[in-house]
Amino acid sequence: MIETPELIAALAAAPAKVRRLHAPVLRACAWLGLAAVLVAVLALEHGLRPDLAAQLRKPHFAISLAASLLTGVCAVIACLQASLPDRSRAWLLLPLPPLALWLSGLGYGCLTDWVMMEPNMEDPGETLRCLTTVAVTSLPLGLALLVLLRHAERLRPTLLTLTAGLAVAAIATLALSLLHSIDATAMVLLFNLGTVTLILAIEWIWGRSALAWLSRRTV
Amino acid sequence: MAATLMRPGPRPTDPSQWSQLMARAQDGDAAAYGLLLRTVTPYLRAIASRAHRNAADAEDSLQDILLTLHQMRHTYDPARPFKPWLAGIAQHRIADRLRHRLRRSAREVSLDFEHEALASVPAAQTGMDHRALHAALGSLPEGQRQAVLLLKLQELSLREAAASSGQSAGALKVAVHRAIKALRALLLKGDDR
Repeated sequence: MIETPELIAALAAAPAKVRRLHAPVLRACAWLGLAAVLVAVLALEHGLRPDLAAQLRKPHFAISLAASLLTGVCAVIACLQASLPDRSRAWLLLPLPPLALWLSGLGYGCLTDWVMMEPNMEDPGETLRCLTTVAVTSLPLGLALLVLLRHAERLRPTLLTLTAGLAVAAIATLALSLLHSIDATAMVLLFNLGTVTLILAIEWIWGRSALAWLSRRTV
Repeated sequence: MAATLMRPGPRPTDPSQWSQLMARAQDGDAAAYGLLLRTVTPYLRAIASRAHRNAADAEDSLQDILLTLHQMRHTYDPARPFKPWLAGIAQHRIADRLRHRLRRSAREVSLDFEHEALASVPAAQTGMDHRALHAALGSLPEGQRQAVLLLKLQELSLREAAASSGQSAGALKVAVHRAIKALRALLLKGDDR
C-alpha cells in the first residue's frame, strides 16, 4: 500500500485546472430544456392528442398533468442537489408530495385499463406508438441524467439513481399524456422504475455502479 | 505596537483558509493543493479513526477519502464553506467501506486452528504428487520434457526458452502442448491404479 504522504504528493503533483460544476438548479434547467425539446419534436412529428383542449378542462386530467410535471421537476432538482457531498440527502424527499398527488389521481382504474387493453387492442399500432414515445423520451433523458450524476459515483448513488428514474418516468408520462389518448401512467412508471431496478440489480451483481462505468467513459 | 506585531495572522491550517486553498487548487495551483491536502489529513484521519478500530483500516479509509476528494474537486463551489463538503465526502466513503466490509465478512469464514491442522494433511500428498509428476516427466520425449521445464517450471518467456533450447517458439509451443496432454494422461492413469 502506498504511504499517505506519497499519495498526497502524487495527487498534488499535477492538479490540472478543473471546470467547476454549475449549480444544481442550472443543470436541472438544462435537463428540463432537453426534455422540452424532445417533447416538442415528438409533438411536431406525431401531433398533440386531438382531445387535449377538452381534457385540460377536466380537473382530474389537469391535476394529473401538473403533478407529473411537478414530480419530474422536483425529482431532477432533488437528485442533482443530493448528488453533492455538502447537500443533505433530505433533498430526495422533495418529489414525494407531488408524487403522492400524481399517484392519488392514478388509482386502481389505470392499472386495470392497462391490463384490459392487451386482449382487446383496437389499434395495436397506437400502443406501439405509445411505447415508442416512452422509449424516445425515457432513454435519452435517462442517459443524460446519469451523465449529469456521474460525479456522484462514490457517494452511495443508489437513491440518486432511483430518484433520477422517477424524474424520467414523470416526464415520459407527461409526454404520453400530451400526445396519446390512453392513460398509461402505470405502464410508464413500471417501465422506468423497472429499468432503474434492473440497473441496480446488475450493479449489485456486477459489484460496480453504472455511474462509475459512465464516469470512466465520459471524463 | 507590540500587540499588533504579536497578533497571529491567519494560519494556513485554519479551516477558514481551506475554502481559498481549494479554490486555488481548482485553478491549478499545485502548492495550494498540496498544502490543503496535508492540512486536512489530520482532520480526516480523526474522522476515519473514529469509524475504524483498526489503524490500517483507518489509513485505507483516509486514502480513499483523499482520492475521492481529488476525483470530485470540480464539484466544490468556492462560495460555500469547504468543511461540510469535505465532511460529506468522508461520511459517504466511510459508510460505503463499512457496508462493503460487512457484506464481505458475511461471506467469509475466518481460519482457526482446526482449519490449519486439516490444511497440513495434504502436504504429504503434495510430496507424492511431486514424485509422480517427476516420474511422468522422465517418461516424456526429450524435446517435450525440455519445453515443460523451461516454460512451465522455470517460467521463462517463449523467446527466452527458444534462445536457451535452440528450438523455435512455434516448436516449443507444440512440444509443451503435447507434453501437457501426455502428462495429464499419465497422471490420470496413475490415479486410477
